[in-house]
Amino acid sequence: MDIVFIANLVVAGIVEGSLIALAALAMTLVFGVARFPNAATGDFMAFGAYAALMAYATAGLPIWLAAAIAIAATALLALVSYRFVFSKLLNRSPVANLLASIGVALIIRSALSWYFGSAQRTFSFPLVRSMNLGGIRIHPTDLAVVGVALAAMLVVFTLLYVTPLGRRMRAVADNPLLARASGIRSAYVMVALWLIAGGVSALAGVLLGVKAIVTPEMGFDVLLHIFTATVLGGIGNPLGAVVGGLVIGIAQELASPIVGASYKLAVGFVVLVALLLVRPQGLFGGAEVTR
Amino acid sequence: MVHLSRRRFAASIASLAASTAFLPRFAGAQAPEFRIGALCPITGAGAQYGAGMQRAIQFAANQVNAAGGAAGRQLRVFTEDDQTQPEAGVLAAKKLIEVNQVQAVVGTWASGVTLAVIPMAVRANVLAMNVSGAPDISALHNDGMSWRFHPTNAEFGKAFAAVCAKQGYKRPALMGFNNAFGLGLTGGFQAAWEKGGGTIAGRVIYEPRRPSYRGEVQEILRAKPDVIVMGSYLADTTLIMREAFQEGYEGRWIMPGWSANDQLVAALGPQATEGVISMDTIPNEGSGAFKSFDDEYKRAMNVSGASNVFAAMSYDMVISLALALEAAGPSASPREIGQKMRLVANPDGTKVYGFAEGKDALKRGKINYEGASGALDFDEFGDVKGNFLMSVIEKGRLVRKDVVAG
Repeated sequence: MDIVFIANLVVAGIVEGSLIALAALAMTLVFGVARFPNAATGDFMAFGAYAALMAYATAGLPIWLAAAIAIAATALLALVSYRFVFSKLLNRSPVANLLASIGVALIIRSALSWYFGSAQRTFSFPLVRSMNLGGIRIHPTDLAVVGVALAAMLVVFTLLYVTPLGRRMRAVADNPLLARASGIRSAYVMVALWLIAGGVSALAGVLLGVKAIVTPEMGFDVLLHIFTATVLGGIGNPLGAVVGGLVIGIAQELASPIVGASYKLAVGFVVLVALLLVRPQGLFGGAEVTR
Repeated sequence: MVHLSRRRFAASIASLAASTAFLPRFAGAQAPEFRIGALCPITGAGAQYGAGMQRAIQFAANQVNAAGGAAGRQLRVFTEDDQTQPEAGVLAAKKLIEVNQVQAVVGTWASGVTLAVIPMAVRANVLAMNVSGAPDISALHNDGMSWRFHPTNAEFGKAFAAVCAKQGYKRPALMGFNNAFGLGLTGGFQAAWEKGGGTIAGRVIYEPRRPSYRGEVQEILRAKPDVIVMGSYLADTTLIMREAFQEGYEGRWIMPGWSANDQLVAALGPQATEGVISMDTIPNEGSGAFKSFDDEYKRAMNVSGASNVFAAMSYDMVISLALALEAAGPSASPREIGQKMRLVANPDGTKVYGFAEGKDALKRGKINYEGASGALDFDEFGDVKGNFLMSVIEKGRLVRKDVVAG
């Protein structure tokens, strides 16, 4: 393997990894605050992708506006699913919530394939060749995907660590009872959480749809990667989810010439198992999330 | 309130159960009905064909029933979705066999589904008919219990190799979807190509449902191929071709017709798809059977029957099965019916092109059903040979070029 080939694989890994990272961020936020793995994350993504596709291809809006509409629509969908499903299960076990989220996922996926059919759709951007930087090939779409994903993560981190809302969310994530005792209204935090989780998922879905194709199963198909990245980073830790996504993406690409492309997914799990043996709480997980 | 609606609900379920329980008894006044399970890919990778296949099975059964049924038995079709997944396919087949008590499960499309369903069907003494391509299926013929209406993947690969040789390509590289079909096609290609004295430039077997195939594409482009041979489906082909274009690939592609179609052109545009060679199994377009299939298909689906060769194959399943049932008699077991398949479809008999005609001709001796999908001559493994149509995408349109015999 020459160095250019390896560099190209790393680039491919970073692009895929940042997509996974963004979706994992949405999942880990829900886990941190609402304390269950949200299996509907992938289907929020698919919903967002279809919403953007409708706005872009059918209504003819520019892509940035279509993405904004998709984010708003999916945030609303996430809020609706909280209002009618997850708010009823607030004090139930994570397993009850997980099962409910699988139900929500199935409803969204079925509704999408009922309304749009199962045929693939694409954002038909004109195809262009990649830029060739000394053998390392970089495509404008990839730059856009990584750029937008990074920007979105930055926004979420700012929201979490700079604003009062973020402080409240982190307080509820750390200790819901203590947060309530300090006068933080958890209902308000939950609404904010689901809006953010829906919006971030939608953006990840739009990016995935632009880069790949749009199908009702598109989000479900990457759900396993998202789970892996979330666990790898330390469940409930936003920074961990992002790093986890990138690690999985790059490790899979680098390993595939050696072990064969058909074992890509397995490589992700090998990385996960190896890390969990050394650090059971994940890359950035604190002790409190492992209890 | 809750109580009342729950009771009402229970009552309606009970009446539903009662009505279905009584139905067969009314219908079975003379000979009992012959039950067929239509197990097609309504969702998943095969979804673009599954609905048409299911309709073809239904209207074929209607044609048989309109002609007075087979051996005096009316056909009744139960439908299930195999989701193009072995797990879902097995569960659905189990339901068809155990609950609906079908005597034939017809219409499985993906090789993985077919490979999982056949052993189950055989154990339950139920006939299985498929349109799959995996070479391994040939070994499951089980003395007439399993029948394949589609040429094997190895045959597909052989036809691909013949086309590549004819076009003068020197460095073919193989990309295969990691399933029985992708492995079978690339394996068949490699065997045929190497037998002809050529060598393979590179080979990558990839996982389904990936968000990107860039690493795989980079690996295959390092082999500097002049043609990339795809054992693929539409979704993965869309991603792979787009990424290969972005990486600067300017060579040719050859792939199955379900990948190289209008949807691919719609997704990638005419420039990136120019010159793609599409290989398709084609229906038996000149035959009378095709015409009667096509007429019904247009009525049911609003598109030409030529657009769905699997539906033509599914149609042939029911017609040939009904003819075999007619030949075997009303009390024949599925195995006895299976053993009549060659008698009604293979050469030497009077050529017939539909059920009513065949039923009539059977009174006078052997018949040879020439199907809507092909000549339908089964070999010792219950496999048919197909004809392959080679088309090339030119300016965004598929243009027919050549027919290659399988």
